[in-house]
Amino acid sequence: MSATPQDPHRGPGSATPLRWAIVEWLEKRINVTELFSLLTHFGLVYTPVDTRRPLREVMREIGETPLVSYARWPHVLGLLAALLFGLEAFTGILLAFYYHPTAEAAYDSTAGIVRDVPAGWFIHQMHVWGAYLLVAVVLLRVARLFWDRLYHAPREVLWVSGMLLGFLVLQLDFTGRLLPWDVKSYWAAVRGLEVVWSLPVIGPILSFLVGGRIINDDVLLRFYVLHIVVLPALYLGAIWFTFATMRRIGLSQATERGVATTTFRKHIIDLVTITLALFTGLVTLATLVPFRFHGPADPYTTPAGTRPPWYMLAAYALLQNVPGPAFLVGTVLLVVALALVFLPMWSARHHEAVDDKRLRQVGIAFAALWLVLTVVGQLTGGHK
Amino acid sequence: VTPRAGGTRTLVLALLATLALAPAAFAQPDGGSPAPLRIVTPASGRCGMCHPGDRVAFEKSPHAREEVHCTSCHGGDDTTMDKAQAHSKGFTGHVSKAAVPKMCASCHSDEKRMRPYDLQVDQFELYQTSRHGILLAKGDTQVAVCSDCHGAHDILAASDPASRIFPTNIPRTCGTCHGDTTLVRQRHIKNAYRDYLTSVHAHQLFDRGNLRAPTCVSCHGVHGAAPPEVGDVTKVCGRCHTAERRAFIAGPHAAGMARNNVPECIACHGEHGIQPSVTERLGSSCVKCHEKGDKFEQMGPKMLADYQSAVTEIAKAEKVIAEADGVPMATEDYHARIEEARTYLREAMTAAHSVQPETVAGFTLRAKSVGTEIQTELHRKFGDRRTSQAMILVFWFYVAVTVGILRRLRERGPKAKK
Repeated sequence: MSATPQDPHRGPGSATPLRWAIVEWLEKRINVTELFSLLTHFGLVYTPVDTRRPLREVMREIGETPLVSYARWPHVLGLLAALLFGLEAFTGILLAFYYHPTAEAAYDSTAGIVRDVPAGWFIHQMHVWGAYLLVAVVLLRVARLFWDRLYHAPREVLWVSGMLLGFLVLQLDFTGRLLPWDVKSYWAAVRGLEVVWSLPVIGPILSFLVGGRIINDDVLLRFYVLHIVVLPALYLGAIWFTFATMRRIGLSQATERGVATTTFRKHIIDLVTITLALFTGLVTLATLVPFRFHGPADPYTTPAGTRPPWYMLAAYALLQNVPGPAFLVGTVLLVVALALVFLPMWSARHHEAVDDKRLRQVGIAFAALWLVLTVVGQLTGGHK
Repeated sequence: VTPRAGGTRTLVLALLATLALAPAAFAQPDGGSPAPLRIVTPASGRCGMCHPGDRVAFEKSPHAREEVHCTSCHGGDDTTMDKAQAHSKGFTGHVSKAAVPKMCASCHSDEKRMRPYDLQVDQFELYQTSRHGILLAKGDTQVAVCSDCHGAHDILAASDPASRIFPTNIPRTCGTCHGDTTLVRQRHIKNAYRDYLTSVHAHQLFDRGNLRAPTCVSCHGVHGAAPPEVGDVTKVCGRCHTAERRAFIAGPHAAGMARNNVPECIACHGEHGIQPSVTERLGSSCVKCHEKGDKFEQMGPKMLADYQSAVTEIAKAEKVIAEADGVPMATEDYHARIEEARTYLREAMTAAHSVQPETVAGFTLRAKSVGTEIQTELHRKFGDRRTSQAMILVFWFYVAVTVGILRRLRERGPKAKK
């Protein structure tokens, strides 16, 4: 944070391009730098901003700040997650303008968005594909944090917030899935809730909160409110928390793998390039591989082969194939989930780096088991 | 303590007394409670003292409430308990079967008496024209008389579901004789009851509860029951199946069958055990009468082929519509047109009764063309969608250009100072 008030390269008399003239005109009236500094809360700028100085100087200084090369794949995951969340928020708001959260109108209004609203199909498909990618990216990010042992001090908080983001994004996906009231989405929600209900303590509480075990109009409305208000707010808070912590602790690469530097200017261009690549990929998927509708849900007829969403298939496979009461399996699931959050931190605190290699092996074994169970769930899923 | 206890006892006694009196207070002489069981009734007089079973059966009947007494049919005196006196005064005792129709007719053919009830009075005349009536006149007492179908004492109104002549009970009433295996063998008649139970009509009546489904009397008549003659079958069936009859009469079968004394509808559909119509039967029915390889024999398979090709096209169109619904695209119009095509198919089956392949083809071709039109239109729309999807190439091009510009900007560094 330099205290020099003047730009050494440019005197006040030299000719300024129009855009800077506008900024200077504004700066005589409002504190543009203060407004700009808001961005630092959402991770776009990594250095503190001196709000007393003119924007142009701040920008120049930021642009030339040496920076850990950011646009490398492990870091990109977090960035993509933030971008995708922005996209989901934007498309979600547009969808909410036309969506009706009642059992009678939900399917028709969703189909109407795709069919009748100008560019509605695009917004809808972007939202659905964006959700798939967001879940994948956030879960990959958790895996990456685990693999790169980013749960050691002082990064435990980031590890927990990473897990929290993963948990929230699954909730967002699960609540959003039900909203179209499509045959497949409805029964995926039914099967998914079977998994949730098997969890001891949490299951009954959630069941009470959403209003029972039968998915009806009330549950649809509650899922809608969770999906568009409660969970996004929590998610946004978690993002803000992650960035705030990240600014305090610093990026992982700077501490672990030596410093690969770049300037902030190049970084911004990389960021735009990544955004563009992401958007292009999404547009391509939304256009060429659109999601299909399967007709409105009918709670009285269960179609063959109903399964929960893909991330619940492993748990569902256990519930389907392990004999005994469901809450026993649920207990196992809950213990595994809690262990996932706390085991790395616990191990890091007590055994230092000695056990890290073994922990990685445990992680690989767990991922392999999870994959196998997912495949089993996909193959054996069907009528209960 | 004692006076108090005494006071309580008095109170309890008073309460008990009130409770004991309560039923008496509620017991009104005609307070809507069921009529008390009476052995001596206006309808049965004192007959019921010795004939309780008959009395109970008779009391169920509307006759018992309409000034018909035991003595109206059996004669005698119902005011006395003396058997000899009761069984005098024109006492007839058991009414012989041959005498039953005339006896019932004594009231039921009397226009003046029946007018208040809005009942027909021609049953007796009709009965005499029926197969039953003709045989009875010849002295055959095995045939049905009034009491065989309506009951002797417990005669209920036709609208009463417990009545023997309520629609769902009629087949069993007729089947008492016409489903009696001993009787039908002795008399060389068909076991119509057994056949009827397998029919689509019986399915409608018993399984679907359709009270308008035809029973025995719908085709054979009620009191004038008789099998329809050859030449009349189409008229009887055509009372409900009007469109089929119109097509049948318009075709060559009507005249040809009459010439060869073949019972029209029955020839293909059977009589009592009429099965649901199956399209495939079109391909196998002709050979029953026509020689194999004959040009007439081949008409059925031809009509069937036309029909099935239309069905195939409609099925294909439905599949394409389902695909469009998955997108989703606007398909309400197509759903309506599929219904239209189905209507043509139904009309084609009706028209098939005229055994004129060109008439049938008129309908099947229309149905088929609706199916193919829907397919063509939707495939064109799918094609349009694919064309617009190709616009993604333009998008990719601009993205590539933008990425190129960004790369150059990144490498060039900040603008050179002047």
